[in-house]
Amino acid sequence: MKRSFAQSLALYATVIFTLAMILFPVYWLLVTALSTTNELYRLPPTFWPADPQWGIFARVWAAKPILLWLWNSMLAAVGSVALSMLVSVSAGYALSRYSMRGGATMGLFVLTAKMLPATLLVIPLFSIFSSFGLIGSLWTLVLAHSTMIIPFATWMLKGYFDTIPKELEQAAMVDGCSPIGAMVRVVLPIATPGLAATALYAFVLSWADYAYARTFLVNSPDNWTANLGITTMQGEYVTYWNDISAASVFIAVPIIAIYLFLERYLVGGLTAGAEK
Amino acid sequence: MANISIRNVSKSYGALNVLRPFSLEIEDGEFVVLVGPSGCGKSTMLKILAGLEPASEGQIFIGEREVTDLSPGDRDIAMVFQNYALYPHLTVRQNIGFGLKMRGTDKAELDRRVDDAARILEVTPYLDRKPKDLSGGQRQRVALGRAIVRQPQAFLMDEPLSNLDAKLRVHMRAEIGALHKRIGVTTVYVTHDQVEAMTMADRVVIMQGGIIQQIAAPDELFNNPANLFVAGFIGSPGMNFLNADLTAGRLTAFGQQMELTRAANHHGPVIVGVRPEHLTLNDAPVTFGVRPTLVESLGSEKYVYFDTEGARIADGEDGKTKGLIARVSHSGPLPRQEELRLGFDPAHLYLFDARTGARL
Repeated sequence: MKRSFAQSLALYATVIFTLAMILFPVYWLLVTALSTTNELYRLPPTFWPADPQWGIFARVWAAKPILLWLWNSMLAAVGSVALSMLVSVSAGYALSRYSMRGGATMGLFVLTAKMLPATLLVIPLFSIFSSFGLIGSLWTLVLAHSTMIIPFATWMLKGYFDTIPKELEQAAMVDGCSPIGAMVRVVLPIATPGLAATALYAFVLSWADYAYARTFLVNSPDNWTANLGITTMQGEYVTYWNDISAASVFIAVPIIAIYLFLERYLVGGLTAGAEK
Repeated sequence: MANISIRNVSKSYGALNVLRPFSLEIEDGEFVVLVGPSGCGKSTMLKILAGLEPASEGQIFIGEREVTDLSPGDRDIAMVFQNYALYPHLTVRQNIGFGLKMRGTDKAELDRRVDDAARILEVTPYLDRKPKDLSGGQRQRVALGRAIVRQPQAFLMDEPLSNLDAKLRVHMRAEIGALHKRIGVTTVYVTHDQVEAMTMADRVVIMQGGIIQQIAAPDELFNNPANLFVAGFIGSPGMNFLNADLTAGRLTAFGQQMELTRAANHHGPVIVGVRPEHLTLNDAPVTFGVRPTLVESLGSEKYVYFDTEGARIADGEDGKTKGLIARVSHSGPLPRQEELRLGFDPAHLYLFDARTGARL
């Protein structure tokens, strides 16, 4: 169907507007990082600094333990993704494939956990982690982030497994696989786009957390994550927004890299041809 | 290859019985077709046979071995699914060889057998493609290849042709028949298409409501249906039925009375069945006048639709009533609104108990 000029115009206008909304904060982050302190407070604001301060990245990298913070964030995120995926894949597969008494209700109940705000769980989690002596350890983040990720990830994966025909596992079982073998050899490879999307969701959720890190790790600087570390750059009397922005650019880079890496797996359509 | 013995197998989900006690002896090398309308339990029986569903009761033997509680992979069977169920992430070669790989067959033997199966099914040029790059017919061949490569004791096929278009279906039907003759493996084939059942089977098992209605060779089913359901299900167009009365060997139907030698001791209402091809335009022992409501021409023969007193629509029909049908050999035009005289030989009539549907 050929679009009319007006339709094309509306379409492009919508796309450009949406992109601008999404990309403007990223652009502004970069502009802030590259501006001098004087330029930052100038009115009207400058949309590109007259003298871009490229050296700020090296200066911030040297002044703050950015690498340590990134490493801690990475450990917490990878741990959360691993634990969440282990639980969510099993739970989502079971909810998708096996009819259990009250299975649907149980599934919905799992989802209600997602409706609770993270701050609501901070106090009980703090109490639990204290009693196990975990406060200050990155394990608190792995466990706390998993409580946020697992409910939604389970539902995402159940939805994805539902789209994979059961006959594929039945064929694998007739071919000699055990039920778990059929899942591992047939279902999971086909579900790669779904697994990648869920893992990315889990990673971003963990990477972006501040509330849990602030509560459980504030007294352990060696375990600070990037988000927590950056907030300590805010001074009591003076805040160097350009330094904070430069550090924020460092934090954004891993997420962008991971997205670019997973993007090829996110493309669906792998099941095309499995059945008519 | 082996015989299959299904002994009193039943399946129920709580109070719902989807399969009443089902017994069937299938000989080594036999091609048995389970046929019936949707929900008759035929696919459930096949899944129980494959081990994909547990039976509620009963036993299954393949060869001398009881397999009732064995997992699907331990039954030494192969299955072809309605939607092919090819592994989309694997190539055709890996798809065909998957079962052998699972059984630890060594690489050289696996390659040899995959190549043999591919040659038999003419899919050799596609061995390195993924299923999504194949046409429907090619995918179906790959699914068959996956079944034959293991040289199992039995093939189970669950409506394998129903996703193909009409022309390809006829072609693949012939290919499956030829394949069965060539390798002679015991085959249980499920379909809802009576034409597939009649053309492919050594024996047909007709099912309805989880109950076997009749087990017989195709010609026997056509000529001697056990009951009203089988009579209506087999044959295209389906058998005509009308309500009639039988008293002391005299049948009242088509507005006239006729002597019958059969069922002489039955008194009361009966259902009379007559196949469309047994109604003729020529002289016959019994004739009656009709006004056709529709005449469809197939060239050398015509389908004449008409209404008559007591006409009823056969079980298993799609519910769209056009009345009764006569399939007559006639190449010229037939006058649509004028009265025609149709006739039949009472020896070709089928009588069924009006209450139970059993053949009299």
